Amino acid sequence: MAEEVVVKKTRPPLDPNSAKFKLGQIAAKAYSDAMEAKARGEKVGWISSNFPVEIPETLGIHVCYPENQAAGIAARGGGARLCEVAEADGYSNDICAYARISLAYAKIKDAPEQNMPQPDFVLCCNNICNCMIKWYENLAKDLNIPFIMLDIPFNPDNEVSDEQVAYVKGQFLAAIKQLEEITGKKWSDERFKEVMENSCRTSRAWLDATAQAKYTPSPFNGFDLLNHMAVMVTARGKVEAAEAMETLAREYKENHANGKSTFRGEEKHRIMFEGIACWPWLRVTATGLRDRGINMVTTIYADAFGFIYDDFDSMIRAYCRVPNSINLETSRDKRIKLCKDNNVEGLLVHVNRSCKLWSGFMNEMSRQIGEACDIPVTSFDGDQADPRNFSEAQYDTRVQGLTEIMETRKEAKA
Amino acid sequence: MSMNELLARFHDVAANPSAQMKKYLAEGKKVVLTAPVYTPEEIIHSMGLVPMGAWGGDLVLDRAKEYFPAFICSIMQSILELGMKGTYDGASAIVIPSLCDSLKCLGQNWKYAVPGIPFIPMTYPQNRNNEVGKTFVKAGYRRVAADLEKATGAVFSEEALAESIKVYNKHNAVMRKLDEALASHPEVTNAQRSDVYKSAFFMTKEEHTVLAEKLLSALNETPASGKVKIVTSGILCDAPSLLESFDALGFQIVADDVAAESRQYRTDAPEKPEALDALAEKFAAMDNCSVLFDVEKKRADLIVKTAQERGAKAVVLVLTKFCDPEEFDAVPVRRACEAADLPFVLIEVDRQMADLGQARTILETLRDSLNA
Repeated sequence: MAEEVVVKKTRPPLDPNSAKFKLGQIAAKAYSDAMEAKARGEKVGWISSNFPVEIPETLGIHVCYPENQAAGIAARGGGARLCEVAEADGYSNDICAYARISLAYAKIKDAPEQNMPQPDFVLCCNNICNCMIKWYENLAKDLNIPFIMLDIPFNPDNEVSDEQVAYVKGQFLAAIKQLEEITGKKWSDERFKEVMENSCRTSRAWLDATAQAKYTPSPFNGFDLLNHMAVMVTARGKVEAAEAMETLAREYKENHANGKSTFRGEEKHRIMFEGIACWPWLRVTATGLRDRGINMVTTIYADAFGFIYDDFDSMIRAYCRVPNSINLETSRDKRIKLCKDNNVEGLLVHVNRSCKLWSGFMNEMSRQIGEACDIPVTSFDGDQADPRNFSEAQYDTRVQGLTEIMETRKEAKA
Repeated sequence: MSMNELLARFHDVAANPSAQMKKYLAEGKKVVLTAPVYTPEEIIHSMGLVPMGAWGGDLVLDRAKEYFPAFICSIMQSILELGMKGTYDGASAIVIPSLCDSLKCLGQNWKYAVPGIPFIPMTYPQNRNNEVGKTFVKAGYRRVAADLEKATGAVFSEEALAESIKVYNKHNAVMRKLDEALASHPEVTNAQRSDVYKSAFFMTKEEHTVLAEKLLSALNETPASGKVKIVTSGILCDAPSLLESFDALGFQIVADDVAAESRQYRTDAPEKPEALDALAEKFAAMDNCSVLFDVEKKRADLIVKTAQERGAKAVVLVLTKFCDPEEFDAVPVRRACEAADLPFVLIEVDRQMADLGQARTILETLRDSLNA
């Protein structure tokens, strides 16, 4: 019997000047800074991913992102364990898995995959979903802590109305006052201006980096974006984030100039991936594409974190335009633009069991995108954090089907 | 009319919404569909239009699957299905509020799935009880009125709205009285009680108020009852098989916290010089509901308090499968009941349930434990 030899690959240490290193440090530092702040006796908050980061950043308040934590826990294999803790408490397994993981973490207060300090208050913005309100209501109730609610309603129209801006602005100012009272920290207009500048600078660099997928082959593997996105969520108001994103954009441009890419192998096909990543099955979903020479060159995240604005009102408008807060037509047009700008040849849709809003009108929207861009569309069932809602076999079959259609179309064009 | 004749009338209306719609259309009236929940019916009514509830139906889903994934609740799915099948043909518009994520999706899908019936969005604020919230909700109401004018040719006026608010406040008051009265009338079955509420979606409020007042007068002396008193909670509790189980197992619903039943009648619009201000104040004052931001979870306490006041022996949460807001609230509601030593059961339902199976077993076990 032949003895199996397992050769463990060792990765070379990262260059500390590389974007990957810098971005990794920033993401990790967000957690360690919050831990240290908590240890010093400062009040620390939990915050939803599209709450205006400008508020806590200006006030110098440390916050942690439960969605980011849940994704990290799920990617490191802890999703099912924490989901089951929440389910044992009576939460339906139909509820968003990020919420289940977070409610479980608030109860058991330990997850070796990604710990973070317990909150003294929560900052909730529902511009990504109303599920967020329910999740944070239960957190605040269970932990008996203050709840700061910034309601940014789903906009059924193409433009953000002045009435919506006024409503959000009023709440924005109230949230600052509430936070000043809770934390004892004071708002500074001067600091706010700096934070807005940083946030726009980071966003511009992000857009610049992600736009490099316009080249064929793309100078990066789109799965990189899923990792780097953490910094866009948690730290875009920091100058370090702006610098790291600018480094990323520079590297991608250099890759293109030097004929390099972070996508390993030949880029045979280029697709857009729609939806939140399947964090528990990240390797499987990435490998299933890479092995077929498919590069996921863009996602809506490329556009989602482009918070570019000139002043207070336009900042409010930017937060009213995040994905999931906009109507089908605006959502569709953003994706069509990404597909066309980046020479996308197919659309792979993650029908995410956790996200009713993202999946609830995706059928119609993806049909319209497919028609407008003349590309094939395929979907697979999965979940952002509950590993039990994904079938590797189904994913493989669907991706294979998409590949064959893209190949056939290429042959026909040749 | 006797009590039984009145109950038969409520049943006829509740069971035949299409006939009601045809009747109104034949009278030359225009019908506007109102999706769940808290659609500003007063505005529709004030413009001389007939608001008709569109809460879906107990039918097999087929075409809605072209739009919705399987994990969207059956209320949204069946509303879309009925729209696509042509059941709502003749309606001038549908007003869909966006108080939950699935409702947002229903509106977006509706535009393409049922292009013949214009979609009118109603965007409510969650931070509702403050000046910016009230101003925003008024903007939402104005937009609904403007869209209705466009879709129907009818005209909106604050004066007419003020009159409609009176009609709706009166109906609310009668429904609250009826709710209280029915708690001591076990001879009215749970299925009949449901008809009283459900029929209100398919009649003008003036007509329904008259019938409800007649029923109040027609209720006889309270007979002795061995029924087990319960409080129901949830979005919808009108499935015939479920109501039949409640009745067959000897339960009496003595109060409810159901969105399609009593929740909508709890709050009146106050008197204000401007009618839209009054309507905005009404929404600002609304509470105790899974789709309205409620950090204190007062809803859970209200359910317990109501059960205690009405002498209920248990709370039954009728959970519409895939309804996020209710699924989140289920945990604090259960905890509040447990803290008050009030038995609590959760039964999961959807609009495609021909056979209750598991739900019936849960209810049988509850009855046996309460009778033990």
